[in-house]
Amino acid sequence: MNENGNAPLLEIKDLAVTFYTQTSVVRAVRNASLHISRGEVLGLVGESGCGKSTVAFALMGYLPGSALVEGSILFEGTEIASLESSELRSLRGNRIAMVYQDPGTSLTPTMRVGPQLEEVLIEHMNMTQEQARARTAELFESVGLADPGAIGRRYPHELSGGMQQRVVIAMALACDPHLLIMDEPTTGLDVTTEATILDLVVSLKDRVNAGILFVSHNLGVIARIADRVAVMYGGQTVEEASVRDLFKDTKHPYTTGLLSCVPQPPTETGVSTRLQRIPGFVYRAEDEAGEACLFQERCPIAQERCSSQAPQMEVVAEGHQARCFYPDEVKTEIWGVPEPRVIAPSDGAEEILDVESLQKLYGGARKKYLLFGPEVQPPVRAVEGVNFKVGSGRTLGIVGESGSGKSTVARTIVGLIAPNGGRIGLRDADLAGDVEKRTNDERAAMRMVFQNPTASLNPKLPIKHTLTRALQRFAGVRRSETRQRATELLEAVGMSAEYLDRPPGQLSGGQQQRVALAGAFAANPDIVVADEAVSSLDVSVQAQVLNLLEERQKEAGNSYVFISHDLGVVRYVSDDILVLYAGNVAEYGSAAALLAPPYHPYTEALLSAAPVPDPEAEPTRIRLEGAVPTMRERFTGCFFAGRCPRKLGSICDEEPPPAQQGPDSANHTIYCHIPVDELSELQASGEAPAPSAV
Amino acid sequence: MATAEAGQEVARGGNPALRAAVGKVRSAVGLVMKTNTGRVGGIIVAIHVFLALFGPWVVPYDPIAFDPQDLESRFSAPSTEHLFGTDKFGRDVFSRVLAGARSVVWIAVGGTTLGIFLGLLVGMTSAYMGGRWDMWIMRGVDVWLAFPGLLLLLLILDLSRKTLQVDESLVIILTLGIGMMPINSRVIRSAALAVKPLEFVQNARLRGESFLYIIFREILPNIVPVVVVEGTLRVGFALLAVSGLGFLGLGVQPPTPDWGQMISEARNNMRGAPWAALAPAFAISSLVVGVNLLTDGIRQSLNLPVNR
Repeated sequence: MNENGNAPLLEIKDLAVTFYTQTSVVRAVRNASLHISRGEVLGLVGESGCGKSTVAFALMGYLPGSALVEGSILFEGTEIASLESSELRSLRGNRIAMVYQDPGTSLTPTMRVGPQLEEVLIEHMNMTQEQARARTAELFESVGLADPGAIGRRYPHELSGGMQQRVVIAMALACDPHLLIMDEPTTGLDVTTEATILDLVVSLKDRVNAGILFVSHNLGVIARIADRVAVMYGGQTVEEASVRDLFKDTKHPYTTGLLSCVPQPPTETGVSTRLQRIPGFVYRAEDEAGEACLFQERCPIAQERCSSQAPQMEVVAEGHQARCFYPDEVKTEIWGVPEPRVIAPSDGAEEILDVESLQKLYGGARKKYLLFGPEVQPPVRAVEGVNFKVGSGRTLGIVGESGSGKSTVARTIVGLIAPNGGRIGLRDADLAGDVEKRTNDERAAMRMVFQNPTASLNPKLPIKHTLTRALQRFAGVRRSETRQRATELLEAVGMSAEYLDRPPGQLSGGQQQRVALAGAFAANPDIVVADEAVSSLDVSVQAQVLNLLEERQKEAGNSYVFISHDLGVVRYVSDDILVLYAGNVAEYGSAAALLAPPYHPYTEALLSAAPVPDPEAEPTRIRLEGAVPTMRERFTGCFFAGRCPRKLGSICDEEPPPAQQGPDSANHTIYCHIPVDELSELQASGEAPAPSAV
Repeated sequence: MATAEAGQEVARGGNPALRAAVGKVRSAVGLVMKTNTGRVGGIIVAIHVFLALFGPWVVPYDPIAFDPQDLESRFSAPSTEHLFGTDKFGRDVFSRVLAGARSVVWIAVGGTTLGIFLGLLVGMTSAYMGGRWDMWIMRGVDVWLAFPGLLLLLLILDLSRKTLQVDESLVIILTLGIGMMPINSRVIRSAALAVKPLEFVQNARLRGESFLYIIFREILPNIVPVVVVEGTLRVGFALLAVSGLGFLGLGVQPPTPDWGQMISEARNNMRGAPWAALAPAFAISSLVVGVNLLTDGIRQSLNLPVNR
């Protein structure tokens, strides 16, 4: 590390990157300074639009001609900007390597992955075919790919996302790079896969002695793997410190703001604290910075000086820099004292939604048309026998990996797709499968918010369209009054009437999602189904939307079905939680009961994998390999047997797991062969199960 | 003309929606005119449209009437008096080409509009209903497309002539529209398929919107570029089809001048008086080339990929 007197591997000083386009000047990076030594992981964190990825691209020299790069990037003492393009190319190939967010697009789809890697070795390391093949096997093993020979013969699409990313990492390691740049390498992956990839990165750090620049928007991920962290805001590095200091002794208000936006695990008493929010939006890259702190508009401790003078990076403690005039006044409390979240009473709540043995099969049922059409094959059993109830004013969280059937459940209950079996009861009525066959009142009572805010508003129509149509259809509002009512709806989600006539394209993602929420709330629904509604938003915006949902619930007493792959968010918002795996319920119960041992082994694995924004947290290490299976056949035994780290033996493969009641609550069900008492003991000991031989 | 009127209303204040619409059309036209092909094509088409609209008032001679006794003026070569010469009846070819422009343009544009409208209905329905409906509608379209184009046109033409007692050009418009529907509906279906799964369409379903509302109000605005390009492209095809029908003697009936019919009449005298056939042929080809260039310009200005 740097303290050992080694010259840093990489040193960036006052880097600025400006893009000149026909219509605007985009200052993607204004002033970034950081350094990395060998054997060290530097986490680069910030919200979208803060210039993290641009820094990474500038390092690789991957910027278009319209970009003006100022400042200095010293790599092993050489100024990168002074290099000829051929020198730069060999530098990129041999000493700097990069891993991108989407492993699917980093690999050539038409080539088997083994030869792809061999090609790199032959090209850059002057190896012979045989040497390359041997080295490829070594590399595959070093990134944790079992049976390298078999993996190498597969095409990228035959590998799961996690395995693809391992191959990409192996390729990046092929030429023994001195610096490895990882740009959001786990963002597109499931939490369980993410955890295994992060373990890999940590182990690499020790083995390959390279510096790693790890770019991520996720503070939990950064806390888990970084040695030091640099925080970016509005194109500037605003704080740089060791990971412990950054999380425990924060010196910049933006960093504390980000931290207080992240849902924290509930305290011992099972009560989580409410999220704080950073008001306003990220400083736009199009705006020219005057002589002022870029963060001062949103900063709770801003003073006069902050709007007339631009702060510089100052050393505030040993190895700790911050771009703030008042670093000693930065405390968590500046964002307000966190209040405990109000939890709806569990009993006495009227039942709103009652779903019984819901079943959804995809495909398979199609017959041949005349002589043509696909062969009939067994359907994919996306959802199999799911039961749950939602009480009035309560929130049910549904969590699981991708492929677990969460979205199918959401789409089925709102009627976008018809179930193949089961009952969906709304209050006293049984709902029809298709939304078209439901009554207008039933549709008004259950509304939905989608994951992608950009796609949930018609791009060719002004945003008032969504609101006025909902008002006209559900609330019977007359045409002359719709504008007034639409304005009220918008104001209720914290936006002004001036947005009514704008096309959705002019709004940020967070604003678009608020409009979608306003549309969902237009007719005072009893229940709102939110399918990954905050997943695509930045943490500060996510906190705003989560608070909005909660305030709304407090006022109107509506219920939510809140679906997310992010266990942190689900456990924050939910009163009850349903854990889905491969279309089956693994565990279902009140949040308090479910989040304490005994857990279902799958829940335990999810909890263990979920990144926590606390570098000192040491959760039990339980890792799941592989991905959720595609369910073409009915499971003969337990649905989770294939990946279960606590698998008992043949009983798990042969008999469906019994529904066991949790110890302290009748409303807690675990579907597992292991007796509840035994699960409690195993999990209380904090001991990880021996890795199953896969 | 409609835009000109709308433009005036905007000048007087107008309503904001209309003003926005006119503004959009203006900027769209501006974008098309920025491309080379769009500019050239636009000018060619504008000349043709101008002549079709005002031609009858500028023609120097009567395009239809002729004097059977006047053998002198037959087959006279192009001269200052007769720009494109005269035909076998001694009629001025230039006057006839101008007079023919109107029926050709009107029929081609009318037929295409009808074809696009039918295509929208069938294509969007097929895409939105999906599943079995989509399968059967599209197989029906396939059967339709399997017929040789001209044969199909002749069939519809014959049927509609027998059953409908309407104006001759309306019959041809109807024929073109129905004949063009299948291919239009395919293109529109594929565009609509890309929009259908988007969340705002699902949202409209959750509001309980009607089928027609969803396809015309939610989906249609998002496929307008495809529809515009498809429409202009089809005008070119329609022009050729109208001329083809005229050439076969199945289009506009004499004595009303029609380009295809003029070529057909003049082709027996190609050696002695090529001008009588070449002039309408040039008119057809220049208009078709103009329309195709314009289509290309529109496509470029919309940044759509060239997929045909």
